[in-house]
Amino acid sequence: MNLWDSAWVIARRDFVASVFSRFFILFLLAPLLLFGFMIFFSLTTDAQDRAAAQPVVAVVTDTATSEALNQARSRMVAGTSEQSFPILRYVAPAENVPAQAQALLADEAGNYSAVFSGTLDRPVLTGPVRTGDFTGRRVGLLVEESRRTAALDTARASPPALEMQRVVTEQASGSLATARRAVGQGAQILIFTITLMLATLLLSTLVEEKSNKIIEILAAAVPLDAIFLGKLIAMLGISLVGLALWAGMAGLAFAFFYQVMHDFISFPSVTPATGWPLFIVLMLLYYAANFMLLGALFLGIGGQASNIREIQTISMPVTLMQLMVLLLAINGLNGQGWLAWFAYIFPFSSPMSMVAMAAQSGTLWPHLLALAWQALWVFLIVRVSSRLFRRTVLKSATSGSFFSLDFWRKRAAR
Amino acid sequence: MGAALAIEAKGLFKSFDDKPAVRGIDIAVPEGSIYGILGPNGAGKTTTLRMLLGIIEPDRGERSLLGNARPLEMARSVGYLPEERGLYPAMKTREAIAFMGALRGLPLDTGRKRAEILLRQNGLGDYVDKPIKSLSKGMAQTIQLFGTIVHKPKLIVLDEPFSGLDAINQGRLEHMIRDEAAAGTTVIFSTHVIHHAERLCERIAIIAAGEVRFEGLVSDARERLRPQVRLKTRAADGPWRAVLPAGASQQDGFWTFELPANGIEPLLKGLLDGGAGIEELSVERRGLHDAFVAIAGESAAREMEAAEAADLGAAA
Repeated sequence: MNLWDSAWVIARRDFVASVFSRFFILFLLAPLLLFGFMIFFSLTTDAQDRAAAQPVVAVVTDTATSEALNQARSRMVAGTSEQSFPILRYVAPAENVPAQAQALLADEAGNYSAVFSGTLDRPVLTGPVRTGDFTGRRVGLLVEESRRTAALDTARASPPALEMQRVVTEQASGSLATARRAVGQGAQILIFTITLMLATLLLSTLVEEKSNKIIEILAAAVPLDAIFLGKLIAMLGISLVGLALWAGMAGLAFAFFYQVMHDFISFPSVTPATGWPLFIVLMLLYYAANFMLLGALFLGIGGQASNIREIQTISMPVTLMQLMVLLLAINGLNGQGWLAWFAYIFPFSSPMSMVAMAAQSGTLWPHLLALAWQALWVFLIVRVSSRLFRRTVLKSATSGSFFSLDFWRKRAAR
Repeated sequence: MGAALAIEAKGLFKSFDDKPAVRGIDIAVPEGSIYGILGPNGAGKTTTLRMLLGIIEPDRGERSLLGNARPLEMARSVGYLPEERGLYPAMKTREAIAFMGALRGLPLDTGRKRAEILLRQNGLGDYVDKPIKSLSKGMAQTIQLFGTIVHKPKLIVLDEPFSGLDAINQGRLEHMIRDEAAAGTTVIFSTHVIHHAERLCERIAIIAAGEVRFEGLVSDARERLRPQVRLKTRAADGPWRAVLPAGASQQDGFWTFELPANGIEPLLKGLLDGGAGIEELSVERRGLHDAFVAIAGESAAREMEAAEAADLGAAA
């Protein structure tokens, strides 16, 4: 049997064993549960978190100054957002205001970030140095706004209200670039998330053969490269089944949402630079490439582990490695600089970087080059992983250094 | 030895972590024969078989399997039952057998049909669709054996096939090995149980401490030792005692000693002339066990016996 036939036998067994297992339903439900949990979590905690994160400034002044500051804040917030300015809370001044300010900052129940005292002409802001970064500058703006309004009131000057004329266009290059960047980043995150979910499966896939002592039957019948390749193809197939199901469900949900909401919400019209059909094809190809690249690596690493405990130990560094690769690929979204080029070329970040390129640029030849490059690396990693497995797990090593003539003579003789 | 060789190995050497496991193994297995590799645990039997099959590479030496120096290229024609039995626990028996055949190039459908026939022929028809995890250890071992032969290989390699089997299943396995050999298949198996090799094999290799101590016909191994004479006389003493060789010993009224080099006639004449009064006399060819002790040493034989006892305990 040739390599592909052997790999197919392994892949078919693994695919059937996984997809027809009762635990596969849990695998399919996992992202839905995760998605549901994320929505629930964001709905219940987002508003509270934002409120908790917003600084509170105690305003220890006369009521007129406090009122002026509050009105200024209302005007500023109307043009920006509630979160853009600190919350102002009036506190009646005591006899010794500096001591009162210190006491207010020390009071944990009050939760003050800074204390404003003095007047609009001689403002004093008491608080840690870091308040100068956000709170200090925002309070400064409020003071300026209050003083400007007071000056205009004094001069009885009132500029007329303006209404800006809006000319609506289909697209703007700036917003299109931003939207395509978002599409690219979304594709990256999607590829990353699915691969991340399958990382432990990939790591542990050889443990079954090792713990059930089947590996020797396989190794005696087919080349180790075929075992590795077959397992990768099976896992890719399993993930594509999951992906198809999740995409179908997401499509149905979107269609339903669109039917109900299309009169109330305007959906942005975004087309990736390569066009949607080609972008989706490229996304699938890059997903497969990313999966095969990381899968081959994880299979190689996992093959060295002899039990699930060791797999669990390996899982964390592997997840961190994936995160680093994602960060590198996100850097590729800029499309400029040596780091972006590195992200395109480095095999593990190349698929995610290139999918972002597909969203942002319509040039096709780099994709052909990149896919060939990635396929070459899959082949190399599978060879190295299987070789390492043979050497360390099956305890089979041809004597001699990898770089010695003797080693290659023996290889050729086999 | 004119027959073509199914397996030929010359000077196979393998060490693990700088400790030699096998030191210069030479083996020649004629096509269509039943060949046994005999030796105590740790002698290097499994390492030898794994090298012959290409699972591990030898550090030095050459081997050819069915005439090919790259064993994996002959995988379609080889069936292998490893020492450590392994099956996917959730797989159904028919699928497990068919899968093992598919690994050796047998189409799955054909594998399934043959698996069902094998199971039914051996009284396991009720287990066709049962998962492996529901079978007893002996049954699972039988399933694996069917997986080893389902693709009708030219060469069957069995590593300690009798280990863990009860007497009934051992008998079945012996029967199956004979049937396969009768159909022209070469069978090579390793064992630490001498009587299996003695009953089944035409040729054997005796391995101890990673070296082949003997390689050839079982009869040649036995003939390395002179036949043993058992003698019972009416006379307790007399001139006839002079014809007994120096190593003769007496136990339970019988004298036992190696047949003298000059043969039986001078011995008989001496006994008769010396007035021994022969009550019983037998000349017996020595068994493979005695040959093994003589070739591999007393301690290797003791290790074999201990391993066999452990096997019997496990099977029980």
